[in-house]
Amino acid sequence: MSNDYSSPVLIKHKFLTPGVFVLIVLAVNGLVFLMGRFFFGLGAVTHLNNQYPWGLWIGVDVAAGVALAAGGFTTAALGHVWHKEEYHLIVRPALLTAMLGYTFVAFGVFVDIGRWYFIWHPLIMWNGTSALFEVGICVMIYLTVLYIEFLPIVTERFIGNVNLPGFLSRMNKPVDRLLRVLDRGLSKTMFIFIIAGIVLSTLHQSSLGTLMIVAGYKMHPLWQTPVLPLLFLLSAIAVGFPMVIFESILASRSFGLKPEMHILSKLGSMIAPLLGVYLAFKIGDMFIRKTFVYLSEVNTASVMFTIEVLLGVIIPLRMFLSPKVLKSPGLLFTAASLVVLGVLINRINNFIVAYSPPYSLHSYFPAFGEFSVTIGLIAILILLYRVIVMNFPVISLPGKQKAAQTKYTIKGTK
Amino acid sequence: MSGSSRRDFLKTSALIGAGITGLSISSAKAAPKNILSENRMGVLVDTTVCIGCRQCEWACKEAHDLPAGNIASYENREVFYNMRRPSENALTVVNQYSAGKGSDLPVDVKVQCMHCDHPACVSACIVGALSKEENGSVIWDTDKCIGCRYCMVACPFQIPAFQYNKALDPKIMKCDFCFERTKEGKLPACVEICPVEALTYGPRTELISIAKDRIKRDPDRYIDHIYGEKEAGGTAWMYLGNQEFAKLDFPEPGDKPAVGVSESIQHGIFAYFVPPVSLYALLGGIMWINKHRKSSDEEEK
Amino acid sequence: MMKNILTLILFFALYVSLIAQQSPKKNYSKLNINCKTCHTCDVPTKTDPCLVTCPRDKMTTVYQSADKTPETIVLDQLVNSYGPVYFPHKAHAQMAEMGGGCESCHHHNTSGPILKCSSCHETSRKRGDIGIPDLKAAYHRLCIDCHREWSHNVSCNTCHVPKKDLKNVKDEKAQKKYYSKNYPIILEPSKIVFKTNYEKGNLVTFYHNEHNNKFGLTCTSCHKNESCATCHDLSKNSNTKEKTITVTKSNSDNHKKCSSCHQIENNCSMCHQDKVAEPFNHGKQTGWALNRFHINLSCAACHGEKLPYKKLDTKCISCHKNWNNETFKHSITGLQLNEIHSQLSCEDCHTNNNYSAKTTCNGCHDNYSFPKQVPGKIVGKLN
Repeated sequence: MSNDYSSPVLIKHKFLTPGVFVLIVLAVNGLVFLMGRFFFGLGAVTHLNNQYPWGLWIGVDVAAGVALAAGGFTTAALGHVWHKEEYHLIVRPALLTAMLGYTFVAFGVFVDIGRWYFIWHPLIMWNGTSALFEVGICVMIYLTVLYIEFLPIVTERFIGNVNLPGFLSRMNKPVDRLLRVLDRGLSKTMFIFIIAGIVLSTLHQSSLGTLMIVAGYKMHPLWQTPVLPLLFLLSAIAVGFPMVIFESILASRSFGLKPEMHILSKLGSMIAPLLGVYLAFKIGDMFIRKTFVYLSEVNTASVMFTIEVLLGVIIPLRMFLSPKVLKSPGLLFTAASLVVLGVLINRINNFIVAYSPPYSLHSYFPAFGEFSVTIGLIAILILLYRVIVMNFPVISLPGKQKAAQTKYTIKGTK
Repeated sequence: MSGSSRRDFLKTSALIGAGITGLSISSAKAAPKNILSENRMGVLVDTTVCIGCRQCEWACKEAHDLPAGNIASYENREVFYNMRRPSENALTVVNQYSAGKGSDLPVDVKVQCMHCDHPACVSACIVGALSKEENGSVIWDTDKCIGCRYCMVACPFQIPAFQYNKALDPKIMKCDFCFERTKEGKLPACVEICPVEALTYGPRTELISIAKDRIKRDPDRYIDHIYGEKEAGGTAWMYLGNQEFAKLDFPEPGDKPAVGVSESIQHGIFAYFVPPVSLYALLGGIMWINKHRKSSDEEEK
Repeated sequence: MMKNILTLILFFALYVSLIAQQSPKKNYSKLNINCKTCHTCDVPTKTDPCLVTCPRDKMTTVYQSADKTPETIVLDQLVNSYGPVYFPHKAHAQMAEMGGGCESCHHHNTSGPILKCSSCHETSRKRGDIGIPDLKAAYHRLCIDCHREWSHNVSCNTCHVPKKDLKNVKDEKAQKKYYSKNYPIILEPSKIVFKTNYEKGNLVTFYHNEHNNKFGLTCTSCHKNESCATCHDLSKNSNTKEKTITVTKSNSDNHKKCSSCHQIENNCSMCHQDKVAEPFNHGKQTGWALNRFHINLSCAACHGEKLPYKKLDTKCISCHKNWNNETFKHSITGLQLNEIHSQLSCEDCHTNNNYSAKTTCNGCHDNYSFPKQVPGKIVGKLN
């Protein structure tokens, strides 16, 4: 495979910057509250109660986390299924984001469930009627798939490069052989995992929408609709590329690199139709169910819905249609950020704002501890991303080719 | 290499297809117990008879090993100033409302799990920890539960509660229809203690006819509505009242089972795993075509 | 002729048999009564209808006078953690006369003898026929509604005493006494002012205490179909001296209670006045003030039962017909006569049989006058 596109390399950059320092502080703060949750129970750290069983952690860590990690499967579909080779450049960063995102989701679930030590139960105790079971199983398998998809990056990094310290150095050869076997096996079967990853994603992205349908009348009619799974899937697909643009530009800025505008612009031009489809379904559903009447009254629900649709869908949709926006990194970043924000708000709306139980003895607003843990986990996620791109070939630099390593892009797709 | 990978592709696709089919068969077996027996039991709560003595609250706690305190302390009427809901510390509570037709006395309403005929919690539970038993009770299995609280989201009557303040072994707490007691042939604790028999325990079908009979005989005392006969697809616990149930803070979940839409979507997406497998095949096909085109392009070159 | 008669007889026979067939056939099973009201068994058949015993002369029915009912009934079938309940039956029966009568508790007994509650209400809660409440529930349901109305609580100890508290009370009489501790106080209003829309005098002042204490009316004379809480409500803990009620009932309903005693035709001003009326004052209203003895009497004691009351003679003898020299004890007037004066006849001092006029000593003494000189000893307040 000879291509004109640059290949992934290790990013050389100073690890500790002021920004990183802030992230570490946030992470430590989150971990402190996390300890509180595990030592004293959920009630000690969260404002969750019997009326509001799900809060910020499910809404943001899990639901929004899954949605914002959609970049993984959308770019995989684009790069591998539709074989658009030019996008291979962004497949790895997207894959890494998805992998870290889903790890973060899984950990979010682990933190949020009361009996965390039984998190493995869904593997052997099945309930086919449960949307949550479906989400759980899919996320579990998909997470494994993501790790498998990431394996070639590990083998690429270490084949011929295994250098274990001290007495373990005797193991250098066998490990190297193992990596090579793994690499060969993976290169033949990777396509299975890639397709499986996409199928699994479509399944659980939509089932995440099914989750709240069972709440029935407890959910505000602006969001409660039988097509919720479809809306979730469409919004996940729509947010995939903006998320890639968002983190790509962010990473470039952070490492002082030039953003890959020629790819990102192309990617950006595909967003408008996807957002359009999502918006059409959302608005169409609203008119079919005549729920626009709820927008006439001013309350949290109507305001949040308006923000979600206007700021998160309509404005970025208009922006992505403009060639000026597609060419400017700043504007592109703004538009992508808006979509990301819109989906984040949408998930928060669906899981927290829309949920209005008939008997709410206390209303719910996330506790400081909940914010701390969520922000802390996001900080850790970013730090991990930084560590990994500095130690594994994920991000490609323009013009710097690493001829020997090009064989080891994602295997089995060529 | 491309040739070999194409062969692999077909082989492994077939393998995965077979695997998923196997998966679907075993998952069909793995559903939780959800029995809708003809002879399921129920309780008819006559809110016009209930006197709000709250002895059921005490008996319930005693029967479920919750700290119950002195029964005399339950004579305190000040608790009625605020609406209370079942919680992890009290699986049933009584609330008081202003008088309805035919009486000047306040109306007291006992609240607990309704034990739906089509329980949303059983359908929703990720690990099938909740089950609908043959005698009508919806019960919870400690050994399975992971504490995700999806049952609380799903419940149309907002009943399950959670021990948020326990770091280890927190439990979902809700009325279990005294499953252990009824198994031994005893009455549910609340039914047994009720001094005025505002709670009548019996086969659900019989209770419905008793309720209809009471309404027919005493139309001045009751409104013509048995709450729970149809609500949320029918519940084991049913209520008679002398005013609109909405005034007594009963929710209006509609007559369809709460699980209806969600389950049909779920079954639609997973109808014998056909949609996912088809999607898999479709994506595989697209991938194969794209790759084929690419490689033939290269060959032409 | 014979043929005609025969045809007539035939027609008559046909007519009778037709009537016999048309005799009213009630579908008892569709009546709004419990089967157990008339039948003792679960499945009555034509051959064995198992009807309850019909009323007989000596049978106790629900039409018994309250005063003839048993004083106390001991309810002890369900004794468990509480001791037996000593139910003051007569008191409740009497009170029931102001409400729904005996049937308010003895339901489904309208024609037959009074049945034991347990003949329909089973003692066990776990039972076959769950359509009828069990005995415990039946008892509680009968009692609790009224008791809740006036007490505003559902405390068990109103009727029950826990067995452990009864250990020290061995004697049954003492037990009864223990039980009868919770009689609700009756807060009798003294004065009620009714605001009416009668233009020539919109205020009607009703002195409840006078009607009850002075005029000798019992509760049942006026109170009918009332709830227990009307008199016994414990939440009204202060007996407000005066309460004002704006009249809302119909004209005839308003007057019904008063007109059973008072002559109201063309006599509106007797009750309807512009201001709140003074309580009845015998001295002011009739010109003859009642002394300390007379004031304690009911009106009927002097005026007789017949209404309206007639004006009476103020002479003592017109009421105290048996009073004469021998029988009258002068000391009740506050003056005990000494030995000499007690020998005199009444007219010697009370001239002309006028006992309200000033007495004279002139018959025997010169320059003596009462009360400067006392013919004996003052023992009390002089009238």
